[in-house]
Amino acid sequence: MTPAICKLREDIAAVDARLIAALAERVSLACEVGRAKAAIGQPVIDPAREAAVVSRAAALAREAGLPEDDVRALYWRLMAMSRRAQLEDLGAAARVA
Amino acid sequence: MIIVTTPQITPAALDRIIEHVESAGLRAHVSRGEQRTIVGCIGDEAKLAEHGLAALEGVERVVPVLKPYKLASREYAVETTRIRFGDPAGTVLGGRDLVVIAGPCSVEGREMLHDTAHAVQGAGARLLRGGAFKPRTSPYAFQGMGEPGLQLLADVRAETGMPTVTEVMDPRQVELVASYADVLQIGARNMQNFALLTEVGRVQRPVLLKRGLSATITELLMAAEYIMAQGNGDVILCERGIRTYETATRNTMDIAAIPVLKRETHLPVIVDPSHAGGRADLVTPLAMAAIAAGADGLIVEVHPDPAHARSDGDQSLEPGAFRDMMRQVALIANAVGRTVPTSAPLTARSAA
Repeated sequence: MTPAICKLREDIAAVDARLIAALAERVSLACEVGRAKAAIGQPVIDPAREAAVVSRAAALAREAGLPEDDVRALYWRLMAMSRRAQLEDLGAAARVA
Repeated sequence: MIIVTTPQITPAALDRIIEHVESAGLRAHVSRGEQRTIVGCIGDEAKLAEHGLAALEGVERVVPVLKPYKLASREYAVETTRIRFGDPAGTVLGGRDLVVIAGPCSVEGREMLHDTAHAVQGAGARLLRGGAFKPRTSPYAFQGMGEPGLQLLADVRAETGMPTVTEVMDPRQVELVASYADVLQIGARNMQNFALLTEVGRVQRPVLLKRGLSATITELLMAAEYIMAQGNGDVILCERGIRTYETATRNTMDIAAIPVLKRETHLPVIVDPSHAGGRADLVTPLAMAAIAAGADGLIVEVHPDPAHARSDGDQSLEPGAFRDMMRQVALIANAVGRTVPTSAPLTARSAA
């Protein structure tokens, strides 16, 4: 292993750490939105909003020169993760209440 | 094969097991329960030497799974899958509460959808069904309203808070339908449309998968496997009758499919008594039989004026008959240790 490859791998690890931190922040924000919606009696899940977020990500991917379809698939997965986290969070809140 | 871990396995030991599986080119599917965690291995199992696995810390035993479906099989999950829906009341399918989905076969217009939604919600239905894209045997029959129908579903959803279920027929329309609906339905005729199954797996929306007219239970589970292989585990299986030599009913409801599916898979199972019998007078007895046999829910066609429905009027209940059906179903549910809501849940409007 050359020092250059080791350095690149360290850089990738640092990016991964930032990605995970960003994902955790995103899920936390989604749970906050879920609680705010539940407080006013609105359905937590909003299919139109999810689709709009995926479309926005695809547009950003195009601008960044990333493969759009892969980013769309990644974002649908992310939407599912946020959705489950929101519903789990609300379920836990209901069990406590 | 599945790897059953020891109780209280540490996260680091579990990570090492998963890495061992994935470094051999297989995918690891982790299912966590309160007592145990199991790791399902998907791929060429010949690459995994069993003795190597059994020696890893935290491995209690390695069990081969000979069935063709893996992710869908009961062995691959510690507990029954529960699917949550995002309405204000927080509906969960797959638990003790039965979930009833009801609504018209086709979305025909705003007023009829609005009236039907309120009627079925008042009787205890928790999700609203309605077809905007309709697969019809005849190319000359009503094919559904298309996107304007989806918009009407979304409008009524916003008003009532009821999550919606609607069919998607074409892989090119999956993202469009997903932008309006909570649950994507794969119709019986598309159960083995593998491009469509892959696409609905990709968008990660819960999928209601109807059994094909002539599909075996194994074929139904293999269709579910296609969706799950994309990482979407929220699959609802639906028995809706199969084709037999009997002509007195539209299809023959395969009542045995319910306990067989409950034994074979961890996925929730619902029944469509409307299509199974094809006649309104059969809906209630078939619904009662389904719940008695262990179904987790029902999907029922309801129309404010079945005689003038644009599709499937013969098998649609009018709202009063649906309320009666719910009362009958509640009796059976009570007898088998399940519960069914018979009153309206909290709605978006009433809670606001």
